[in-house]
Amino acid sequence: MTTLALSPDSSKTTGHAPGAGWLFRLHRPALYVWIGIVAVLAAGLVWLWGPLTDSSAAAWREYNEFCLKRGSCHYDPDAIVRYKDVYGYTTGALTALPFVVAAWAGAALFGRELEHGTAQLAWTQGLSPVRWLATKLIVPTVVVTAGTGLLVALHRLMWSAGDGRIDTAKSWYDSFTLHTNGPTTVAFALTGLTAGALGGVLLRRTLPALMFALTCVAVMRVLADQVMPHLWPAVTRVTSLDDGYRSSGLGVDSGLVTATGAHIADPGCGPTSVSSACKTVYDDLDATGFYTTYHPESHYWPLQLTTTALVVAVATALAVAAFVLLKRATATPTRGGTEASV
Amino acid sequence: MTDTAMAATALGKRFGRRGGWALRDCTFRLPAGRVCAVVGPNGAGKSTLLALAAGLLAPTEGRVTVLGTDPASARARVGYVAQDKPLYPQLSVAETLRVGADLNPGRWDAETAERIVSAGDLDPRKKIRSLSGGQRTRVALALALGKRPELLLLDEPMADLDPLARHELMGTLMARAAQYGTTIVMSSHVVAELEDSCDHLLLVGGGRVRLAGEIDDLLAAHTRVSTATGSTGPTSEDGSPDSAPGGLPELAPHTVVESRVTGRQLTALVRPAGPLPDDWRTSTPSLEELVLAYLRNPQAAPLTPAEPEEAAV
Amino acid sequence: MVEYRIDRHSGVATYVQIVQQTKQALRLGVLQAGDKLPTAREVVEATAINPNTVLKAYRELERDGLVEARRGVGTFVRRGLNTTPADSPLRTELDAWAVRAREAALDRDDVAALFTAVLDEHFAAPDPNGRTDLHSRTDRADAPVRPSRTDLHDMHDRHDRHDPNPGDPS
Repeated sequence: MTTLALSPDSSKTTGHAPGAGWLFRLHRPALYVWIGIVAVLAAGLVWLWGPLTDSSAAAWREYNEFCLKRGSCHYDPDAIVRYKDVYGYTTGALTALPFVVAAWAGAALFGRELEHGTAQLAWTQGLSPVRWLATKLIVPTVVVTAGTGLLVALHRLMWSAGDGRIDTAKSWYDSFTLHTNGPTTVAFALTGLTAGALGGVLLRRTLPALMFALTCVAVMRVLADQVMPHLWPAVTRVTSLDDGYRSSGLGVDSGLVTATGAHIADPGCGPTSVSSACKTVYDDLDATGFYTTYHPESHYWPLQLTTTALVVAVATALAVAAFVLLKRATATPTRGGTEASV
Repeated sequence: MTDTAMAATALGKRFGRRGGWALRDCTFRLPAGRVCAVVGPNGAGKSTLLALAAGLLAPTEGRVTVLGTDPASARARVGYVAQDKPLYPQLSVAETLRVGADLNPGRWDAETAERIVSAGDLDPRKKIRSLSGGQRTRVALALALGKRPELLLLDEPMADLDPLARHELMGTLMARAAQYGTTIVMSSHVVAELEDSCDHLLLVGGGRVRLAGEIDDLLAAHTRVSTATGSTGPTSEDGSPDSAPGGLPELAPHTVVESRVTGRQLTALVRPAGPLPDDWRTSTPSLEELVLAYLRNPQAAPLTPAEPEEAAV
Repeated sequence: MVEYRIDRHSGVATYVQIVQQTKQALRLGVLQAGDKLPTAREVVEATAINPNTVLKAYRELERDGLVEARRGVGTFVRRGLNTTPADSPLRTELDAWAVRAREAALDRDDVAALFTAVLDEHFAAPDPNGRTDLHSRTDRADAPVRPSRTDLHDMHDRHDRHDPNPGDPS
């Protein structure tokens, strides 16, 4: 057999590449904490989605049907407050989740390992630095995507269940609900992960890496909010000076329209139906109506998906930077390397 | 199979673009199967050299090869223990060894790793963060030996150990070398610590290799001499006495590492270039004397028999 | 089985200590013909000395014809050294002499000095390769050739290497 001619101990000396078992062994507590957070939040969202939405909607129905019409009534204000509180907590927690991921990735997953030399320990065991980084990014990416994705989906279902039934329910474009209802939150969490990797590899210190990752996620969130409305063509609606602004949605721009059709700034006087004194102001400006450039609810998914794509691209760029830095700092197989061993 | 365990050619490492050189112009060859002492004062570049060989750092210039290939390709066959013995504090001893098994599939020698740990009366359930320095060293060595390395790089391995553990672990390492022909490279700033265990020396000082070679050969190449000044030939004929290297014309043909005149007595450590006068008292220096003489005299010419890498066939 | 004890501060080269202790064991009958010496691995595990040092000592003993290395089996004693059992006539005479020396008011050091002087008169000087005689001219030409690791009977990979020994007279 010709195969016998091959080096018999090549399998013995090289072995096969390590899997991800070591990673679970090292970060088992973090995994349990993550599962715990996701479970608690999921339970909260399911509770909100079912019983709390129903009781709050019932309270609002009673309030609107009886209290406003008859003056005396019986409704459950606690149900309304409970829904509002739990909604606030869960949405807040889901908003904070990418920051938690960033802090963990920057500190525990990367920064501390590079600071204390345990990363170097892994590199001198059977794991190359590039493989070490790849495993540390891929496995948490799966875990973080699964957890955050589940919560975002539940949040969306929960929000949809209350939409139109609860008067105090948050609008789709509320700055927190906007993200917790869609995949941008998942993308922010992944940014936290890769920013932690880059911070760790770059700074090689726990606390600085943690701060770096948190800052990256915060900046990313602010930037996403700034950029999002411009990622999809918005709709412009003109209303009369009497009516004022009538459109609701994610606003891009608003102001006055002149007789020539030009868009000018709104002096802030308000609709003429409210204050007739404003009429002279608008006449001076040659204004004929109000305009609003905005995204209606039908734009939700295009906006969400384009923003998500953009954030994921940034997260990927951070990861690539981490790989490049790590490869430059450590020994990598040279092209002549295998030749020399012959 | 190659018979060179480690070789460096003009190897240099600088930290930061404007930082100083931690190591420079490093050229040497370590044959396989040796136990090599990397000796030098703190900050001499010993750790940098070992980290370069372990593939933890990329060289700024030159190149280093281990086991006939580049450090990155040899990773699976090289064991390394860093100076501060990093381990995962949150794991227990037993879990740490299991991580070793995870990281070295197909190579892991669980029995050896467990034997090294149990020889230290270590409870496998104990957390790493609660271990003493010596116990950490033991676990770190167990991890390094568990992967069946052909080359073992140890940075100050004995620093945290009590004399008993030091002797026992050094015995374990020597047994490894005897049984498997494992090449062991260990650094220390205490020469005496390594004298009996090593047969090869790499003296690093000021970021450069000062001495490299078999310890017996290095000792044989040097001689401690003592004589009365002016006993061999009149001093004045050789011109001004201070112009000769080492300042003493009697020593002129020989390479002087260190010389000292006390009264009319001249003592020196030299590399003889030829026969020494019969009336000189001579002796072989001890390893420690040799090392200290080179470290005290940074200007002394280094002795690093440069062998072409191609010699390894 | 003989157990070596290495004294780091004796000034005697480590391999010489092993040679001397083996010879001592042969003289005292602790080791006899056919006995197996500990393997290099066993010696270095217990003493933490370099394996080559043990091999160098064994090679020296082999050159003296005291032991022989059998490939893959180990190193065995070929012949014992002249043993002087406790009841031998020589020992009895020495015993009587020691009693007389004591009666002559010689102390321990005096006796030792006297004995060494007589010893030097009748026997060749002991092993010249030890690091003990620091004041003799260094002459590495007769230093034994370093044994190469290939001599290890229990080694897995074998490869030849040329031993660069500048002191080798060849």
